[in-house]
Amino acid sequence: MSSIKISNLRKTYGQFAAVDGFSLEIPAGSVFGLLGPNGAGKTTVFKCMLGLARTTSGLVLFDGKPLVPETFERIAYVPERSVLYEWMTVAEHVEMNRRAFKAFDPVRALELLAQFNVEPAKRSRALSKGMRTAVMVALAFARNAPILVLDEPTSGLDPINQRHVLSLIINEAARGNSVIFSSHQIGQVERAAEHIAVMDRGRLVLEGLVDDLKSDRKIVEGIFPNVTYSLNGIANDPRVLRADRTERIVRLLVRDDADNIATMLAGAGATGVRVLDLNLEDIFLFAVSPADATADVIAKGSS
Amino acid sequence: MPAVMTVDPRSGVPIYLQIVEQVKRSVALGILQVGEQLPTVKQLALDLTVNPNTVARAYRELEHDDVIETSPGRGSFVRDNGSTQSAKTAASDVARDALAIALREAKSVGLSRNDVRELIDTAIDRWFPEEQ
Repeated sequence: MSSIKISNLRKTYGQFAAVDGFSLEIPAGSVFGLLGPNGAGKTTVFKCMLGLARTTSGLVLFDGKPLVPETFERIAYVPERSVLYEWMTVAEHVEMNRRAFKAFDPVRALELLAQFNVEPAKRSRALSKGMRTAVMVALAFARNAPILVLDEPTSGLDPINQRHVLSLIINEAARGNSVIFSSHQIGQVERAAEHIAVMDRGRLVLEGLVDDLKSDRKIVEGIFPNVTYSLNGIANDPRVLRADRTERIVRLLVRDDADNIATMLAGAGATGVRVLDLNLEDIFLFAVSPADATADVIAKGSS
Repeated sequence: MPAVMTVDPRSGVPIYLQIVEQVKRSVALGILQVGEQLPTVKQLALDLTVNPNTVARAYRELEHDDVIETSPGRGSFVRDNGSTQSAKTAASDVARDALAIALREAKSVGLSRNDVRELIDTAIDRWFPEEQ
């Protein structure tokens, strides 16, 4: 069981801060999903964690200790882009990993490659994008590493092989190993991860247990009889995270106690008041879209 | 048992609650019988392709609700507390949740207390004709 702690990580390229004060604790034995729009800084966080990019400032600790060469024996990494040698065969990559890592299990690697229908005799340059991903995934999961860092581990894979990768992640979690992975496929994160962090523009904008975020956050929707109405200060309630309105319809993003807010909205004269569940995609989109992104959003405090 | 269990991860209902609800339903319907063993956390996680810690959380909730009991090294079993109490509890939990959803919907479309009472009376007459 291995825990990871990232404290106030910063990585700048010239004036641009790719990661801007990012802190996160990944408990031992958890599956952590890292979400974020393109360019949010997910890959940079992974590279800084693994010492593949020099951090501008901040600290990454594995079981309370900074990264040392021996730590690499305990971390398996699937990078976002292929790092396979074009002229080498898949079998030669298996052999190279066997020499590089003590705990690497070549039999398991070949088993996994067979499950992904990858022919070991093929050279890397003959592999499709999805097959390259499959090879890197097979090599990583044969490492017997207590920590797996997976940057888009299902990219380019067909739905059958995507599901296969999810099962591998779940299997690692059941063995007590820690997995941190990024994906744009929110449905996969929703299944495999119990914990998520959302990044936007280099910063952490949301973090929590997927099931808790779903339990806590609701949409309260109501319809007013005409366009002139007052919310009686409901939008200022600390439980209301944002308020959107289109003509007579008001939609409130509420944290905790949605039923109470629903009663207050009905009290303000709204009819058809409903409490709606949010899935992870909704929660993600709310986290990365600022409240002033659309014209029909009531800025908090103006009602 | 897991053959009848499915979860919808894209739903807004937390996955652990979906599992809790389905196990209770299976107990209420007799698909899972008193004393019957549930799959291990790992097995159910792999069957449903969901996080094992999420399944473990569902099992803890079911223990808390006295529906199942877990003995270390042996596994989790539908609780035998000398009666069919756990099945009855499970059945009323499932029914209460379904009723709450129906009532919330009725209220949201603007029905009054009396309208709802009328609907419920009609429904009871239809489903329990022998007890009229």
